[in-house]
Amino acid sequence: MNRLTQHLLLVLLGGVTLRVALGQGYLAYVQAGFRPLLVAAGAAVLAVGVLGVLRGRPGTTEHPGPRVAWLLVAPVAVLLVVAPGPLGAFTAQRQAAPVSAPATEVPLGIGADDPGADHRTMTLSGYAIRTQQTDTSPLEGRTIRLVGFLSPREGGGWYLARIRIACCAADATAVQVVLDGDVHGTADQWVEVVGRYAPSSPHPGLGYPEPTLTPDTVTPVPAPADGYED
Amino acid sequence: MEESRVLDEAQVTGHRVRSTDVLVVLLLLVVAARFLLPGAFDAPVVQAWSTVFVAVCLQALPFLVLGVLLSAAISTLVPASFFARALPRRPALAVPVAGAAGLVLPGCECASVPVAGSLVRRGITPAAALAFLLSAPAINPVVLVATAVAFPDAPAVVVARFVASLAVALVMGWLWTAFGRGEWLRLPTRHEHPPGDGRAAAFLGVVQHDLVHAGGFLVVGGLTAAALNVLVPRAWLDALAAEPVLAVLVLAALAVLLAICSEADAFVAAGLTSFSLTARLAFLVVGPAVDVKLVALQAGTFRSRFAVRFAPVTFGVAVASASLVGWWLL
Repeated sequence: MNRLTQHLLLVLLGGVTLRVALGQGYLAYVQAGFRPLLVAAGAAVLAVGVLGVLRGRPGTTEHPGPRVAWLLVAPVAVLLVVAPGPLGAFTAQRQAAPVSAPATEVPLGIGADDPGADHRTMTLSGYAIRTQQTDTSPLEGRTIRLVGFLSPREGGGWYLARIRIACCAADATAVQVVLDGDVHGTADQWVEVVGRYAPSSPHPGLGYPEPTLTPDTVTPVPAPADGYED
Repeated sequence: MEESRVLDEAQVTGHRVRSTDVLVVLLLLVVAARFLLPGAFDAPVVQAWSTVFVAVCLQALPFLVLGVLLSAAISTLVPASFFARALPRRPALAVPVAGAAGLVLPGCECASVPVAGSLVRRGITPAAALAFLLSAPAINPVVLVATAVAFPDAPAVVVARFVASLAVALVMGWLWTAFGRGEWLRLPTRHEHPPGDGRAAAFLGVVQHDLVHAGGFLVVGGLTAAALNVLVPRAWLDALAAEPVLAVLVLAALAVLLAICSEADAFVAAGLTSFSLTARLAFLVVGPAVDVKLVALQAGTFRSRFAVRFAPVTFGVAVASASLVGWWLL
């Protein structure tokens, strides 16, 4: 691989990184707060590549570059051809785990209803851990609104699911809430669910308790720009 | 203007099949695939694999760039005499100093490999550079704070991680002092710029070379980590958590295969609630020291003869250190 090819690869990599970081695309891969670092890195790689292309003088001796550098085409190609979106039901089915109860003495409350509404909006993980408390009284008698995507449950039925990432999509875990009711939809469809607390149901295969909600209404909604929960 | 210079250079370079031509053909294939095969990549498994692969690459890129810039600065801007003065002359003493210096490089493991490589080039005793290589990604403040945030109920994990990771770095440094052979660690020769080009040009040359090189190896790690992430369901792991010894080994192996950035691995470990704290400590200690992407980067920077010896020994030392510290502190 000659110098020019190496520099062009850097231009491509930097350019694609910048494009993903400056648009909305990066939210499928990393945390929102990571954007400045991505922009800086993309700009640096692009600048180094462009400088290399501009400074390359004809006639200077060519060194064979490292062969492994060809692999830099891979992320560029995957981003341009596949343009993968955020993780969804496929990952939720594989990365779900038992939810552990919070280690507090006093049961966590859920706060007052949303302003001007007769329900309380919660994150899926916020709801899930509260269902595993020994005292679930803060949830009982309340109407709860959750937003997530549908993920099929073993043996029929649906989960409402969200993917959580700590740093990037490689560390994704899933939070799933069993929708105990008659729900029609397709996997990965984003929905808003308003419903009531129900006692946890056992996991169909492994038997651990899974957070459950009895839905009153299930409304399709557009997928949010940043679909991951922190 | 820029284009015409590109063409000039391409015409002057006299290979039969120029790599630039190969690149152009590859890019045309990419463009063709984009338009001719819509929907061919819509299978959920392909999508999930691609997302994780891109995520690993993007997540590591800023740290890799930082590491490459730092390493180029060390190679071209800092005089070699600085390190001779800063580090004790005897390798056995230089190891702990270099290990402790890992506290100040806020980054993940992708940054520390190129920096360690340039330290060796600058004449630092390899034992000290290796101690730095292992300690920097594991004990820097960002990683320790992330660990504290991830384990709010078990602050001892932070202390245990610090102690166990530093111990791995020191033990590996001293092992190298005692048994290491110079010929295992042969850095690829770097093509020097012609004299008179100035420091800026030398700096740029080093950055270009290292970015392409280390970037390629990073992609190797990303490909592997994404495949494992998609192929191994979580339930398989949880089934193994009940056996104490097996649990430590399983999480240690998982740390190698998943290649998660050291700034994020604490959150992943915190989520593996079915495993004991000691097993999760092993995950945190092994990950920044040995993982597929790191081994690929090390093979690229220090040659594979080094990596095939260094990685398994580091794995053994890290598992032992985590088990002992976990038994003592957790």
